[in-house]
Amino acid sequence: MLFLTRTLPFLFCFVFGMTGWVIYYVPHEWAQTVEREIALWLRLVYAFAYFLGLFSLLSLHWSKIRQRQAGWAYSLIVYISFGVMTLFVVYNDGHGPFAAQATTGPYQWMFTSVHVASSATMFSMLAFFISSAAYRTFRARTPEAAILLVSAIIVMLGRVPIGAYISDIIPDTMQWLMSVPNMAAKRGILLGVSLGAIATSLRIIFGIERSYLGGGD
Amino acid sequence: MTRDSYVFVGFLALFALVNTILVANGALSLDWDGLGVIVAAGCTLALYSFLYKDNPLFKFAEHVYVGVAAAYVFGITWYNSLYGEIIVSYFDIGEKGANGGGHNPWVLLFPTLLGLLMLTRFSRKFSWLSRISFAFVVGVGAGLTIPRYLSSFLLGQLEPSLAPLTLSWAGLNLFLVLVGVITVLIYFFFSVEHTGVVGHASRLGIWFLMVSFGASFGYTIMARLSLLIGRISFLMDDWLHLM
Amino acid sequence: MDRLLNIDRRIIFIFVLLGVAIPLLIDIHLPIKPTPTVRAVYDEIERVSIEDPDRPVLVSFSYGASTMPEMEPMTRSILHHLFSRGRKVVGICLWPEAVGLAQPIMDELAAEFGMKYGTDYAFLGYKPGAQAVVLNLGQSMAGTFPFDTAGTPVGDLPILAKVQNLKDFSFVFDFAAGDSMEFWWIPYGQEKHRFPFAGGCTAVMAPDLYPFLQSRQLVGLLGGLAGAAEYEALIGVSGSATSGMEPQSVTHVIIILFILLGNTVYFTTRRRGGKA
Repeated sequence: MLFLTRTLPFLFCFVFGMTGWVIYYVPHEWAQTVEREIALWLRLVYAFAYFLGLFSLLSLHWSKIRQRQAGWAYSLIVYISFGVMTLFVVYNDGHGPFAAQATTGPYQWMFTSVHVASSATMFSMLAFFISSAAYRTFRARTPEAAILLVSAIIVMLGRVPIGAYISDIIPDTMQWLMSVPNMAAKRGILLGVSLGAIATSLRIIFGIERSYLGGGD
Repeated sequence: MTRDSYVFVGFLALFALVNTILVANGALSLDWDGLGVIVAAGCTLALYSFLYKDNPLFKFAEHVYVGVAAAYVFGITWYNSLYGEIIVSYFDIGEKGANGGGHNPWVLLFPTLLGLLMLTRFSRKFSWLSRISFAFVVGVGAGLTIPRYLSSFLLGQLEPSLAPLTLSWAGLNLFLVLVGVITVLIYFFFSVEHTGVVGHASRLGIWFLMVSFGASFGYTIMARLSLLIGRISFLMDDWLHLM
Repeated sequence: MDRLLNIDRRIIFIFVLLGVAIPLLIDIHLPIKPTPTVRAVYDEIERVSIEDPDRPVLVSFSYGASTMPEMEPMTRSILHHLFSRGRKVVGICLWPEAVGLAQPIMDELAAEFGMKYGTDYAFLGYKPGAQAVVLNLGQSMAGTFPFDTAGTPVGDLPILAKVQNLKDFSFVFDFAAGDSMEFWWIPYGQEKHRFPFAGGCTAVMAPDLYPFLQSRQLVGLLGGLAGAAEYEALIGVSGSATSGMEPQSVTHVIIILFILLGNTVYFTTRRRGGKA
């Protein structure tokens, strides 16, 4: 059983990992075909992964409803809104689920009126909280914090038209900050991240890193 | 009733009154378009009510959103991938099946099996089978990453950092970029103690990083405010017709 | 002084709200000057329109509803520019929500410029898989998007008749709310096929992409609403990004003033030996 639960997944990981890596350097047609099929398989498997997320969400809210936890009625609302929207998905503006997706109808209406409005609003609320947080915590306590603060102010002024309205020096300085010191730091971080990603990938392929298998047998 | 209850009821009454006026004076039409604007405005205001304090109206809107979002993504995944690519190819439905441009169904057997194995995660008894799918996804992901990150990020980014220097303003900037990249890398290199020359270089690296973090902070403020501007524009223009 | 530092956060909220709402009602009009990274995108589209007019342009929509106020204006600007130059445009989505957001804009602007579906433009919808989709596109267009959103096989779309893979596009543009430019398009697409590539992203993502501008892996970049406003200025259209620059400027000043006030109070209190 240990072979099936731990060794077989590792072999899968090793074989497909090495294949994905090595074929990059092989320009032959068959190698390109293998790469194409692997990429196709990968993105089709991703499509199934959506159901993991959905199951996780629904089971979380189901357990709240079943155990009558505080606020369980809101979990019921998740189920109701999910159910109504799913009906519209299946209805597909009268074409049914085995047809191309309709671009009109109740599904699109719910998307625009509820989903788009709510999603955009949720993220826009951060404008208020980030402003409040900036006022309370953004302090030039140390030379490093002062550099950060000055850089932020120059970027905030230079990136919008009022910066150029005050003085052309502000957007020019902003442009230089972005293109030289900011770019150098981001490149340093990117190089570090890339080395880390490559090292982790090697650890995964050679079975040193197996946390993706989860615990237990 | 508490003060918050009054605020809550007053808010709902005001929302209803405003919409009645907007419909009565023809600013909003009494059809699905008009109703869509009212619902969108209602969702927006209900979520913004959190800025006053956490309340049932916010929680209601938040949970409606979660349910709708989950089903929306289900619809997109179904029509664009599961049905639109896999089922259509298996069953060769009409002209849109395998012969009409879909995939060879035999080629799809393996990824379909892997996808279905992934769903065994829901079962306590058979969840170990899902490891095979995860191993495939993680393994292929790792294998594809190595050569591409080497080429795009390491070589692709080192080359412009090492461009020839000239005695000009552009040359000075190139030099500063080189210094910045090296000192930032030194700062992240923890295998050597950060004292002496290494310490100074590391400190300089921190300054470069601080400029970068400041820029990121400024841009983040800008992004969040842009989103707010979008929503306020919607409320003032599409809903209230004030602009 | 301490009371000033601990004011009710809702007072700050009201200032921010008014900073957005009032400039939307009053026309302040601040001139918008395009930055080099934005102008580079404009110049590249002009260049391919002259030097490479036959091959279509690929636009990828990698954003969702949460970032729509930033991404929609740049989607409109870029598509407006492409259609106004008679460019053939193929749209794909790498984020699921982008289907419902981008398709109506593409249809609307195509109709405005008299572009015909299938011949002048096409919308192929969404495929899950992120970087795997980009990698797959590099190998086979029809193998990645067998059908458009209406269910028409891509082989039946004249616009894609000569397109085998990413190499056959004259220009690729990604509208990115996340890291799709940096971690999907550049390593899995542009690295191998070397097509001219540019993008528009949320302001949050913009600073991370500057290394790719200098390395020329990115031809140009539109960063956030300001980038979209600059592009509107370049194509001579006054859209929602342009009108958004007034409240954007005012609220930036308000937040800067709050930060300066907070620091002033903090240092004054500290000098007096108090806690802050």
